[in-house]
Amino acid sequence: MISRYVSLLAVRSAARGALRLIRLAAAAALILVAAPVSLVAAGSATGAWLRGWPPSRLYRAALCCLPMVVVWLAATALAAGSWRSVATAPYLAWLAMWHRAAAGSYPDAAAIIAPAAIPLGLLAGGLAWSYRIRSMETGSGGLSPGSAVAFDLRQWRHQVRSARAMIAAPGALPLTTQNGAIVAGAVIRAIGHQAGRIAEIPYPRMRSHQVVIGTTGTGKTTLLLRLWAGFMATALRRHVSGHGYPPLLVVLDCKGGSDARRIADRARRVLRAAGARATAIWPDEASLSLWTLPPRQLTTTLLDLIEHGTGAAAYYADVMEAVVALAVGAPCGPPASAADFLARLDPGWLSLAYAAGEHGSDLALVRSAARQLGDIALRFRTLFRRLGSGLDGPGGFGDADAWYCILEGTAEISVAEGQARALVDLLASYAAGQPDGSGQAREILLAVDEFSAVSRRLPIWQLYERARSLGLAVQVSAQSWQGLAADDDERYRIAASADGGIWLLRTPYPEPVTGLAGTRKLVDTSRRLLGVPVWGHQGTSRIRQAPVADPALIRSLDVGQVAYIYRGGVTFVQVKRLIGGPAALPGPTVLAGTDGLADPAEMAAPPTSAPRRPLPDVSELLDEAFGPEAGP
Amino acid sequence: MIPAEGTAAPPAAGRSLAGRDITGLLFAAEMYGVQLDQLAAVLDVSGPRARAIAGRWRRQRQVESARLGPGAPWLWLTRAGLASCGLPYMYAPPALSRLAHIRAVAAVRLALESVDGYQAAGGYWRSERRLRARLGGRVGLRDHLPDGEVHWPDAAPVAWSGECWAIEAELTPKTVRRTTAIMQELLSRTGDYGCPAADVLVPGRPPRHARVLYLCSPAARQTVTRARAALAGADGRVEIRALPPGAAMEPDVRPAAGRPPARPHRTSEPGISEDGKGLDGIA
Repeated sequence: MISRYVSLLAVRSAARGALRLIRLAAAAALILVAAPVSLVAAGSATGAWLRGWPPSRLYRAALCCLPMVVVWLAATALAAGSWRSVATAPYLAWLAMWHRAAAGSYPDAAAIIAPAAIPLGLLAGGLAWSYRIRSMETGSGGLSPGSAVAFDLRQWRHQVRSARAMIAAPGALPLTTQNGAIVAGAVIRAIGHQAGRIAEIPYPRMRSHQVVIGTTGTGKTTLLLRLWAGFMATALRRHVSGHGYPPLLVVLDCKGGSDARRIADRARRVLRAAGARATAIWPDEASLSLWTLPPRQLTTTLLDLIEHGTGAAAYYADVMEAVVALAVGAPCGPPASAADFLARLDPGWLSLAYAAGEHGSDLALVRSAARQLGDIALRFRTLFRRLGSGLDGPGGFGDADAWYCILEGTAEISVAEGQARALVDLLASYAAGQPDGSGQAREILLAVDEFSAVSRRLPIWQLYERARSLGLAVQVSAQSWQGLAADDDERYRIAASADGGIWLLRTPYPEPVTGLAGTRKLVDTSRRLLGVPVWGHQGTSRIRQAPVADPALIRSLDVGQVAYIYRGGVTFVQVKRLIGGPAALPGPTVLAGTDGLADPAEMAAPPTSAPRRPLPDVSELLDEAFGPEAGP
Repeated sequence: MIPAEGTAAPPAAGRSLAGRDITGLLFAAEMYGVQLDQLAAVLDVSGPRARAIAGRWRRQRQVESARLGPGAPWLWLTRAGLASCGLPYMYAPPALSRLAHIRAVAAVRLALESVDGYQAAGGYWRSERRLRARLGGRVGLRDHLPDGEVHWPDAAPVAWSGECWAIEAELTPKTVRRTTAIMQELLSRTGDYGCPAADVLVPGRPPRHARVLYLCSPAARQTVTRARAALAGADGRVEIRALPPGAAMEPDVRPAAGRPPARPHRTSEPGISEDGKGLDGIA
């Protein structure tokens, strides 16, 4: 009985072995018979593995071969004089291929079979590559469960290598595409987003709120410059084609220092290359006028710039508000400069200003506040001295295509806080003034870097709300999650309302942001351990939730690599660095003139400091050709 | 455009062009198109002779022609004509909205080129169409293109040798602010058209245009003069003159029966006959 059972086992084992051999032989025969297809499939799958391509790319390549197939079949039908020959064409080509190969004419053989073998080979290669990826993702492929991890790391390296090669190729990545999308760089890997070679950001996303997080030295500035230049170029193109208003980019660099000036110079050069004619650097080279604000807004802004106490000091704040309102709303019009405003904080001036007409109640107010006027003037004098001349005009946001505002948030926090408050008020006033015809309508992008450092007077959520109501797009950037805002509520509010997406560079604590990206379903397979180090292919599978954006991967991102999180998907991008012109271009150093025009003499002067020789007289020639010059 | 009538045109391969033909074809190509009376001035022939020459070009399929607006018929180069001239321009008939401007610029060029000093110095007119072609697909952002440039060779026997002038023909007045901005841009530009963006305005480099020559209609003159005054220190680099006679596109400007003047400004009337016909074979 036992011997019969052992024999049965032996027979069954032999049958299994034979079956396996037959299957292997059949597969080998099929591979051999379809050698051209097998060669193309092996080559394409290997190429996809080396370059880290997704299988869809091979499918697309196969699809692109269809015109060749159609032409080949049509040519075959025409040559044979019958459309029936189309059905037998692949078989005949296959036969002819073998005959030519047997005769030693390999190029002819390859040419004959190529129209059929290339698309089929690409398709087969894509299917094989897809099977390989899927088996590794689920953990069922490879010699051991650890193979999947090694496979993923290896694929990441391949994908990065391909992306880097792409951004290194001259002209491979334009700044914008024909359809107006902004090109950020080359795609390394896409999860939940459409896989493509180029990371394209549609323009409407640049008109929505965005968040950028990345520590120093990770390529954050490079990314921001590219986004700003892309915004400028696309918006200008849309404006020229009549589809939008001219753009205005306002950058608030809240760190300050020499680093900010270096970035400002880079920004000016890349924006110039993107089409911006003038980039103003505030307060170093250009100024803005606080006094162009509407009187009511000017009063509010001036009061907000002054620190107020609480409790008994509230009385003093009320007096100050009344006095400032009187000075700003005087019958002769609002003040035109800081000096003008300070001159008004005087009992004599205010009494004289409100003496004529029906201003009895105002005069009474001046008399009752007369004792505090000196103190109030002292406080404002101190404030204006600390703020500097950058807000004392002349100039306005309409004078340039881009403003790079440097706030010394590291060195002088209180000053920077006041400046930030004033700049935001000015921009809000400029944006709000557009519809009534007081200024040219603009598509505005406000980019704030490390705004939390100066947001004590103006909470960043308030900035968000104001921007949303005014149609401004806000781009908030920070070195870390904590740098986004003062507390977690504000941080989550900012990140959750980033309709235009979140850019995440290398940062030590990406979890809150990756959590916002959500999770995806993955198949997790356990495998039976047969004995170290051999794992069998039997086991169980289950569905598990995995984060769309892997925090560990983001922690290990290299310089210039960024994860773009948008609508539950993530695209890892190798950012293409923008190279600006070799020299800084002169900005509107004097944005003078009450009409907002730059000083004509300054602008018209040749951009050279070398003394020019006087121009020779050409009147004789011109008189002969066109007649003498007459008066207007 | 009016289609051709009569017999079929001979094949273009059989054509032979004289030096005068080349001059006329190049002029028409560079200026987007030209009216028949101005072509007569370019070729220095009478009106009927110019019409005959243009008719021959048309049969050779070098040009197309039509009566696009008031005055004499217009002719412009076909794709084949542009190709035979070796000019990499896009084929396009003169835009109706720009006819008056094109005519004015052509008149300015004719007037300038007719001066002995210009010919002796070997001045070279670089047309707006050539500048636009150099810009290629980048046209359209915010660069202002002059209506032409005049380049004076370094070895020219004139005091202004080596200079490059920007030419602006002003028919209708813009705002003073806009005109000033255009003047500023032309006078401060350092790079050639089509150069890298970073070279457009580089400190330390000499300006591209030594001066700007404005040729104004009476209506635009005051605005241009005020804009020049607003330039303050650079106003010496802006020359203002009146447009030459014949620059305006008037209904009474027709192909001449007699020989046209070589220097349009010297005659108050072009002296062109009123035959009302277009080119040979054209209604």
